Amino acid sequence: PNGDHLWRVNDHARTQREIRRHSKLDAEAYDEYGKAMVEMARFVKPILNMTPPDPMSLNPRELMKLLFLGNRFRGLAEGDRYNQLQLMTMSAVDFLDQWFETDVLKATMSASGIIGTFLGVRSPGTAYVLLHHYMGEIDGAFRSWGFARGGTGAISNAIASAAREAGVEIRTKAPVARIRVTGGQANGVVLANGDELDADLVVSSVDPHLTFLKFIESRELPAEFVEEVRRYKFRGSSGKVNLALDALPNFTCLPGEGPHLRGALSISPSVDYMERAYDQAKYGEFSRRPYIDMVIPTLTDPSVAPPGKHILSCFVQYAPYKLASGTWDEQRDAFGDTVIDTIAEYAPNIRDIILHRQVLTPLDLEREFGLTEGNIFQGELTLEQLFFARPVPGWAQYNTPIKNLWMCGSATHPGGGIMGAPGRNAALRILTKS
Amino acid sequence: MMPVDVVVIGAGHNGLVAAGFLAKAGLKTLVLERSDRVGGCARLAHTAAIDPAIVRALALEQHGLQIIRPDADVCAPTADGRALTLWRDRSRAAQEIRAWSAKDADRYLKFLESFARISRVLRSVLGSAPPSIDDPTAGDLIELLKTGRAFRALGKPDAYRLLRWMPMAVADLVGEWFDSEPLRATIAAGGVLGSFLGPWSAGSAAVLLLLGAGEGQPVASGWYAKGGIGAVADALAAAARSAGAELRTSAEIAQVDVAADGAATGVTLASGEQITARVVASNADPKRTLLGLVDPIHLAPELVRRLQNIRTHGTLAQITYTVSSLPRFAGVQQPAACSGRIRLARDIDGIERAFDAAKYGGFAGEPWLELTMPSAADPTQAAAGRHVISAYVQYAPYHLRGTTWDAERDRLGDAATRTIARYAPGFESSVLARDVITPLDLERTYGLTGGHIFHGELALDQLFVARPLLGFASYATPIRNLYICGSGAHPGTGLTGRSGALAAKQIARDLKR
Repeated sequence: PNGDHLWRVNDHARTQREIRRHSKLDAEAYDEYGKAMVEMARFVKPILNMTPPDPMSLNPRELMKLLFLGNRFRGLAEGDRYNQLQLMTMSAVDFLDQWFETDVLKATMSASGIIGTFLGVRSPGTAYVLLHHYMGEIDGAFRSWGFARGGTGAISNAIASAAREAGVEIRTKAPVARIRVTGGQANGVVLANGDELDADLVVSSVDPHLTFLKFIESRELPAEFVEEVRRYKFRGSSGKVNLALDALPNFTCLPGEGPHLRGALSISPSVDYMERAYDQAKYGEFSRRPYIDMVIPTLTDPSVAPPGKHILSCFVQYAPYKLASGTWDEQRDAFGDTVIDTIAEYAPNIRDIILHRQVLTPLDLEREFGLTEGNIFQGELTLEQLFFARPVPGWAQYNTPIKNLWMCGSATHPGGGIMGAPGRNAALRILTKS
Repeated sequence: MMPVDVVVIGAGHNGLVAAGFLAKAGLKTLVLERSDRVGGCARLAHTAAIDPAIVRALALEQHGLQIIRPDADVCAPTADGRALTLWRDRSRAAQEIRAWSAKDADRYLKFLESFARISRVLRSVLGSAPPSIDDPTAGDLIELLKTGRAFRALGKPDAYRLLRWMPMAVADLVGEWFDSEPLRATIAAGGVLGSFLGPWSAGSAAVLLLLGAGEGQPVASGWYAKGGIGAVADALAAAARSAGAELRTSAEIAQVDVAADGAATGVTLASGEQITARVVASNADPKRTLLGLVDPIHLAPELVRRLQNIRTHGTLAQITYTVSSLPRFAGVQQPAACSGRIRLARDIDGIERAFDAAKYGGFAGEPWLELTMPSAADPTQAAAGRHVISAYVQYAPYHLRGTTWDAERDRLGDAATRTIARYAPGFESSVLARDVITPLDLERTYGLTGGHIFHGELALDQLFVARPLLGFASYATPIRNLYICGSGAHPGTGLTGRSGALAAKQIARDLKR
């Protein structure tokens, strides 16, 4: 709001120059930080690709896995051990405070620690999520992310064609009503239209609430398991606002068109701003000044809109699924207005160029995408819901108490973030176990 | 003065425990205390929880300690004029809870049982020195195996609970067990005590577990001493003296002397006097010890950076009230209900809102309070016809924005008084005197960096093998012959004396080598 900005680009040297404008020390620290994060991501990667061990198992192979983890940690250089320990447990801001002094830099970096969680940038455990978002790999370039031509939907389409080519049959508009279980064994599914499909294995990519509380009779499951599934936390905290624009937004801090509009535009002016946004959500209100992460996909891929028109896609946090008063159906418009008011403080022309707006609250995410409580990761990425405890302690190896029923969604290790690891891990596990 | 084997800097409870054990091991031990009496800030504590093994080994009860366990662990007057008392007698506590929720009453008993079983495993971790990561000794491995066995013996439900609970928010933990808000808030409060955490902060359940592990009880976590909590320090001092340690008060340390080869050789007092010692054991916190008392030339810059990054952001203020009559809390029927701690919180969100203010460098108009009324059962602790009340006030952040504690001290006192009066009408007019100790005072008077009562946050990255620093968790420091024996070293939880005892064990072993 002070009319300044911070611009991080894919060109390391330019990013450095930009940070130097704010702080010389931070520009240097940024280098070291990047290196350290790469080391950390390298350390964590094999862990993401493994089936989590069960700490209570007596199976020697499970014990070897625990030993492997311990030894891997011991194998780290001392400085890296220190970073790793902190990353696993600290808050994003505490972690970044050790590296940087510029408030706006810390604020925008810490944002990746809270995306999709019901935590604030000062909540312990968010530093880990920071790493989670560094984990991507594109064309062998570690810790990078990208746009997909044709929108993120194109990724799904590509994966789908790969699957088809491998011999998978995909049926859309085929909502499942029930998983058929006989004698403690899954043997097929019943569709909403009543069709029954027989199968040797059923693999569920939806979240555990749907899988175990909706698709299966609870009497088929051990009572403690059902209790644990109920306890599993979703707590959606974000919404989306998509705007069809007649022209490009004009930002006060960097007027006019330019390459800055092609990347992610983040409204996260200070650490306090981020934390206050969270404080409001804690008590069941959406943030009056939310964190907004915007992209204009039409700049990289004009094919998705008519010529001259643009789409501004905003990821907005916090929008708590459970409101203290009122319902999301009543508050949807107020939420959309808040988002636009917030953007207008940075790009005043926004109100004049909106042709159409779409507001997706956590409730809409639940209704339209089957995301329970609108959590985009199918369950919070907090330490007590990760690794051997995702989704339920003792059931983190993609298996379930029901024979021939498996899980493969983001609610399993290593969790959400459009990286596909849970699906791959699950498939490998199923192949070795069935 | 003649050279000694060990100089202990500071006569806090851990310094005194360490001195007692060192002297018992036959080492010539000298304790140097800056102020004019022993005990340090342990004298401000509400309860003590000295490890029973230490109480026995140092024969504290022969040295004057009389442990008092009140009938009530906690009493929580509520905003609507009722009161929930968690009696030490569990079935009596369950009976009280039943007035709010029958389900909670049953769950409470189950929760206590599970907590007690989990505490047993934690005690095995808290009672032994953390292992070395690089070259674990045979002893380290045996301890690890023991803990591993104890962990497995828990059985699946409790073992998974232990692992899940550690990183959780205490508000979530109590939410999983209980429905009634007063019960939730009263238990959850134990997870934020002395910490820069709100009940909704992840990691606050760990604080509840660590502070409660000693007693195996989430709400008791300690006992009282006849004559006041200062009597614990007096008994520790008497035990150390009788074992042969020498204690000197009003002896402020100016620096730890370090030789050219990087080894500590003794200390220099503010008076200029030098004392040579084979080992210096510091009861001061790690930051104050290494960044304040050692010439930085002896420390690598990376190490200095890590030391500076130890989080010591104090949030607890303490107020001692002298009153003409005991406060009468609405809803409290029997005086015995107030024999333990009294916790004043509207609800969990009330505590969280008080924490919110602290995040932005302020304090809330309605802080979270925990009181004890030691003179109610033991009139010797106050002048005739008067009573003393001790209040913990949270959150009082060490770093205030745009003002100082010297300017805000009275405003905090007023906020606390007003809050108490909300639950005990007429309290304001009974106050004869009050002494407000802010985190800044804790730093100035008691030498606690950042006014942090635990010498560093009890956060997952600052515990066990990482307390005070990863690679230096065996009480030794980067300076040879300089050890940490205070709360800044493992396990560092409350008034248990474990850090001092474990440090003494390590020092005695190293000196025999």
